[in-house]
Amino acid sequence: MSVRTKASRPVAPSHAKRNASLIAVALLFIWAAVSIEADWTELADVPRGIARLFYRMFLETGPDWTYLGRAGEAMLDSIWIAWVGTIIGAAISLPIGFFGARNVSSGLASNIVRQVLNAIRAFPELVLVIVVFIPIAGLTPVAGALAIGLHSVGTLGKLTAEVVEGIDSGPVEAARAAGGRPLQVQRWGVLPQVLPEIVAFWLYRFEINIRAAAVLGVVGAGGIGTIVQETINYRRYDKAGVAIIVVIVATILIDIISGWVRRRIIAGSDAKHVSSEVLEEPTFAAAGAGKIDTDAG
Amino acid sequence: MTAAPQALRTGRPTKPPRSLAVPIGMVAFLVITWLALSEEFGIGLDIGDLIEDAGRGVDIWAEFLEPNWAFVPQTFGPMLETFQMAVIAAFVGCAVALPISFLASRVTSPNLATYLADRGILSIVRAIPDILYALIFVAAVGIGPLAGMLALFFFNIGVVAKLLSETVDGVDTGPIEATRAAGGNRIQTTRWAVMPQILPNYVAYSLYTFELNIRASTVIGIVGAGGIGQLLNAQRAFFRYDNLAVIIFELFVFVFVIELFSIWVRRRLV
Repeated sequence: MSVRTKASRPVAPSHAKRNASLIAVALLFIWAAVSIEADWTELADVPRGIARLFYRMFLETGPDWTYLGRAGEAMLDSIWIAWVGTIIGAAISLPIGFFGARNVSSGLASNIVRQVLNAIRAFPELVLVIVVFIPIAGLTPVAGALAIGLHSVGTLGKLTAEVVEGIDSGPVEAARAAGGRPLQVQRWGVLPQVLPEIVAFWLYRFEINIRAAAVLGVVGAGGIGTIVQETINYRRYDKAGVAIIVVIVATILIDIISGWVRRRIIAGSDAKHVSSEVLEEPTFAAAGAGKIDTDAG
Repeated sequence: MTAAPQALRTGRPTKPPRSLAVPIGMVAFLVITWLALSEEFGIGLDIGDLIEDAGRGVDIWAEFLEPNWAFVPQTFGPMLETFQMAVIAAFVGCAVALPISFLASRVTSPNLATYLADRGILSIVRAIPDILYALIFVAAVGIGPLAGMLALFFFNIGVVAKLLSETVDGVDTGPIEATRAAGGNRIQTTRWAVMPQILPNYVAYSLYTFELNIRASTVIGIVGAGGIGQLLNAQRAFFRYDNLAVIIFELFVFVFVIELFSIWVRRRLV
């Protein structure tokens, strides 16, 4: 009487749910594609349209390199907007992040702070600039920088709070045992543990804000966005091509430099490994999203 | 022979050597900030002026606080279009991004050349903000949702391929070795050893891109690429802040509902 009478295959798990979801998604896609008021036959013309645009930008007369100076200046403006916005966001979010951490403030206070941060994050920079800052500062780069700053408070504050919640409590107890006042405990017990990661977040946010600054140019906040829009509207494609090249080169360069500094900061510290998913969140600034989180709302 | 136990020393421990990186970073930070704030080179931020002008803003803000609810029916069409555009772009974008991400990870990429080429193209795709895509496609194929969907499509490829290729980088190599040992070729290995590991992330990223698309619709509509953004821009041009308030409120609710939905789905995946 053996226990195992026959060597049977394990029963295959049911795929019913998975298949149902796949069908639902496919149906949703088909519905959207059929019902949207777009002429799909135009899709055939897209490659030609793009080729024509590419031809006008780079081949017909060649890119208008004399425009490089003007485009470079505008890109620099966008970089300044992103930089100032990031500093505003960093400066405000650092103390707020501490209040948002459960282990530093109380449970109630941290809940309130987190909800406020969620609400801020819900408004894209573009909405913030139109609603809040253009009325005050007019169509200026300052309005753009303030909008980027306020939006950054939302994401940076949340990340800061999460990092502070993940600290080792040893140094905090040591600082307290040595007679540190509350502020001193935060300064010497908490800050050294979290600063490398937080600075890395700031830099990452700066990379995102560069893209956001380009977007804000389109509503008149200055910078490269304004330039690209103007040149395309006036059909000066040879100039628009130069501006687009400037955007791509500058963005990639800044990403490389900032990424290098971030890795150095993280590697040089004892910070726990930051999962790239958190640090490299694809947050598209213009879209104003938060990181992939499970407790938003 | 390991180091002998050190003699007990009293007194302060020696300070670690100072690194030059911190002072250099601080100086760089101060110089860049000074340039950025200055009137001459940068954006010329003057807090005094701002406080003075804040009074001007109050009147406009007051208009936002009185939304024109009668405007709601007019927003349904563009909202629906935004939803449709987001669905189509996310669906196609995520589908195309899947093979691209496999080529962009050392784990699954067939050779170094493919890997580097794919990464290079991806970094260019990612360097262009969605608004530029929208401007480019509006110029190439004309105003309308088609340009918007194309813009979102490229933007989604950038987002998903970046995230997913990093997830692929981090997979457990055990199943890969097992599949190879069983005689699986590269495609079979990717299908049976890698895919099952990354699938939950892939679904999460796809939902996330869909969410991003709804948010991005405000931006791309501004340059005429369809959806609610186009309506938003028109109302902005007429200074109809009461109507703008309605649109912004609706977007807020829309994004909130979608976020709740994706949280629900992600919970069930884990």
